[in-house]
Amino acid sequence: MNKEEIIEALKTIVEPYSEEVSAIANIDENTDFINDLKINSANLVDIVLDIEEKFNIEIDNDSMAKMLTVKATTEIIAQKLEANAG
Amino acid sequence: MLGNDIVDLDLAKIQSNWRRKNYLDKIFTTEEQLLISSAKRPDEMVWLLWSMKESAYKIYNRKTGIRNFAPKSLNCTIYPNNDQIKGTVSIDNDTYFTKSDIQLQYIHTIAAPIYGKLEKIKVTIYQSPNHPGDYRSTKPGCVSHHGQYLALVY
Repeated sequence: MNKEEIIEALKTIVEPYSEEVSAIANIDENTDFINDLKINSANLVDIVLDIEEKFNIEIDNDSMAKMLTVKATTEIIAQKLEANAG
Repeated sequence: MLGNDIVDLDLAKIQSNWRRKNYLDKIFTTEEQLLISSAKRPDEMVWLLWSMKESAYKIYNRKTGIRNFAPKSLNCTIYPNNDQIKGTVSIDNDTYFTKSDIQLQYIHTIAAPIYGKLEKIKVTIYQSPNHPGDYRSTKPGCVSHHGQYLALVY
């Protein structure tokens, strides 16, 4: 999966947790889950769990700590997928 | 520095399913999970602990400049006495003191870095549609908004 594909999959995951329609439509690496998408912090946990299920990876606490932006999240997903493949 | 966090319990009920597999494990320490599983009202305990963590994080974030999502690194201890629920939240080498108010419709927690400051915090909670538009001009020490509620502390 390349970066664009991961972002596209991520968009589908975060969509139900945000009411910011235009920010979702324009999602990119610089999108911040809380500041831009106004996602409730308790729902960030749901997003992490959804990511684990969708990509079949395990997100440890240190990785989760960084997952506040699309960029950081995409990097973590790519790393974990690579580790799984290796 | 002050922290505060309000949870609209009606909204939390539909917004978050904390019974989802692995959900609690991502947020709460083993001790906190034990408090939830042994609580008479587990929903209330989940959101009480959550509001304690959030209110303490708001101070920690401003003090250290660290912005992260690491709810499990915030360790809650609750000291119940009469109608007030006091507690501490520790992270790294810092400890924050909290006081929580549990109502039928919401749970509100205030946090301060010094215990004696808790009693000096002034709290104002507005329910929609009565949120004042210009509340920022009153320079609140911390703002929390969830669902119907807007909570300001000074």
